[in-house]
Amino acid sequence: MDLTAPAIAIRDLNKFYGTFHALCGLSLTVRKGERVVVCGPSGSGKSTMIRCINQLEEHDSGEIRVFGTLLDDNLASIDAVRREVGMVFQHFNLFPHMTVLENCTLAPILVRKTPRAVAEALALKFLEKVRILDQASKFPGQLSGGQQQRVAIARALCMQPEILLFDEPTSALDPEMIAEVLDVMVTLANEGMTMICVTHEMGFARKVADRVIFMDKGEIVEEAAPAAFFEAPRNERTRLFLSEVLAH
Amino acid sequence: MPMPAAPLWRSRTTRSLLLQGGFALALLAAIVAATLTARANLSAQGMTSGFDFLWTSTGWEMNFTLLPAAPTDPYWWFLLLGLLNTLLMGLIGLGGASVIGLIVGLMRSGRNPAARFLATLYIELFRNLPLILQLFFWYALANALPNPRAALDLGPALLSSRGIYLPGLAVPYGAAIVIAAILLLGLALAIRVLAARRFARMEPVPRRVLALSLVLLAILASAAIALATHPPGTGWLSLPQPRGLRIDGGIRVQPEFACLAIAIMTYGGAYVGEIVRGGFKAVGRGQLEAARALGLSPWQVFSRVRLPLAFRAMLPILINQYVWLIKATTLGIAVGFSDFFMVIASSITHSGQTLELIGILMGGFLVVNFSLAAVLNRLNRAIALKGHNTGGAA
Ligand SMILES: Nc1ncnc2c1ncn2[C@@H]1O[C@H](COP(=O)(O)OP(=O)(O)OP(=O)(O)O)[C@@H](O)[C@H]1O
Ligand SMILES: [Mg+2]
Repeated sequence: MDLTAPAIAIRDLNKFYGTFHALCGLSLTVRKGERVVVCGPSGSGKSTMIRCINQLEEHDSGEIRVFGTLLDDNLASIDAVRREVGMVFQHFNLFPHMTVLENCTLAPILVRKTPRAVAEALALKFLEKVRILDQASKFPGQLSGGQQQRVAIARALCMQPEILLFDEPTSALDPEMIAEVLDVMVTLANEGMTMICVTHEMGFARKVADRVIFMDKGEIVEEAAPAAFFEAPRNERTRLFLSEVLAH
Repeated sequence: MPMPAAPLWRSRTTRSLLLQGGFALALLAAIVAATLTARANLSAQGMTSGFDFLWTSTGWEMNFTLLPAAPTDPYWWFLLLGLLNTLLMGLIGLGGASVIGLIVGLMRSGRNPAARFLATLYIELFRNLPLILQLFFWYALANALPNPRAALDLGPALLSSRGIYLPGLAVPYGAAIVIAAILLLGLALAIRVLAARRFARMEPVPRRVLALSLVLLAILASAAIALATHPPGTGWLSLPQPRGLRIDGGIRVQPEFACLAIAIMTYGGAYVGEIVRGGFKAVGRGQLEAARALGLSPWQVFSRVRLPLAFRAMLPILINQYVWLIKATTLGIAVGFSDFFMVIASSITHSGQTLELIGILMGGFLVVNFSLAAVLNRLNRAIALKGHNTGGAA
């Protein structure tokens, strides 16, 4: 891990599902501290792209480097990258058989070998940060969707990652819970966390993104600063997409 | 706003209490009436009823007992030994079925096509043949083995039509039983330390050290007992040795016992295997991905997330299967294994106390199966997922 290297450097990435070409020669560089919002129509490969970054999906060709570490067949480099890259999922994916606190301390204790007491103190700190400290001893099934997603964010933060990946973190939530999750994400963005966030929350993109990326059919079609992206999209497909999303 | 108290006859609690009480009373009355009628009929035919025969000696022998038994021993002792045999068969049968089931179930849910095929073949074969047929097959196979003089040599073990002979520790029988009990206890305590929520707040390393020292302690205690009881000047292992028409030394597992155990393990293993597979299928992919994304190793993902969640999904069905398998041990009578059922059957022939003995038989199985189900149900409640929003479990 070389913290002076770009946080993420993807070059010419290709990914196939069987014969289906899901990512077609995609390249993307994200600097440390940068906040990137990814949007695009369903099936355009957004999830596939960010899941390649922590190797939940294996890519077929091309190069992915995280802080200089090349993701190849070497399991040690995959482990190293996963320690530095946290992920928040659409469906939270909390461990239902563990309390909120145990969800948060599991990986630090097992992976980072943090002593339990230290891991718990850290977990409580992050649970407070996502404003859910009072639920620490509850089980995920006893929480609302918004609360569960905030726990999932705290769980990712407990590994003290350099990068956070979000895959549509609010799209499984009822409208009144979206705000509480977005609030937490804005706080993180303002603290300088490197973030790649797949979302259709355009308000969030305008507020915190350094760059907005539009994907379609496995390619990056357009990337620009939010102002330019929303006011003057250059590509026809982007314009069509924006008109559909913003119409809602 | 507190609800106004309902009048007594309208309250839900009173009603259900009345209903249940009435049902219990009616049941009791029916049982008492039936017993009195049966008693009257029997004494009219000149047959004695009651449980006094339990204290008379049996006059016959049991072919397999864990503790010493002689024809002069009373019926209650034989019945107890029979029950003990059933429990031992249950322990070995359920344990073996669980191990086989776990392996087969994992093979079936794995990614290796050859392993999947083998496991499917196993399950389809053993699940679709009647258990009694399989039992007869194993028994025929055992009878077809060569006599002790020509026993098959499997390294330290010998296989013959008289049974399987395993190498044993050269200690007296009583000491061997105590050692087995101590080792089992140590292992059980260690598993409890590793699995129970009560110890969850310990650091992983001291927790493992504690569990390991419990096992070591059990081993040390066993070694001490072995040292104290081992006849000096002889070898530590008692190896089976063919000597003329018999085999000396070692531990003999009689064919009846071995065949029933194998039949229960393999047949039960096929069913448990399907339950295990279902359990693993019920684990959400999302939870596994989250664990991997957090950097957990494949083994940690399996042991911390996949297995615990799969186990919770299988346990309710496993409980039924276990109770069913315990009842299936009664098939032992078909090959002459002295389990509880067979001892009851022999006792009926010799004493004529049919009703009493059948009552004891039913009571015994009820107690065994109720206790097993009660313990497992308690475990099930203790580990059940809390809350309804368990999200993404599919
Ligand atoms: N495991 C898989 N097997 C086969 N095809 C897949 C698999 N996962 C994704 N795909 C296909 O790859 C394409 C890209 O999927 P991906 O999930 O990355 O899209 P997305 O942009 O995240 O869409 P959404 O907005 O619906 O989440 C889709 O056409 C999808 O059908
Ligand atoms: Mg997606």
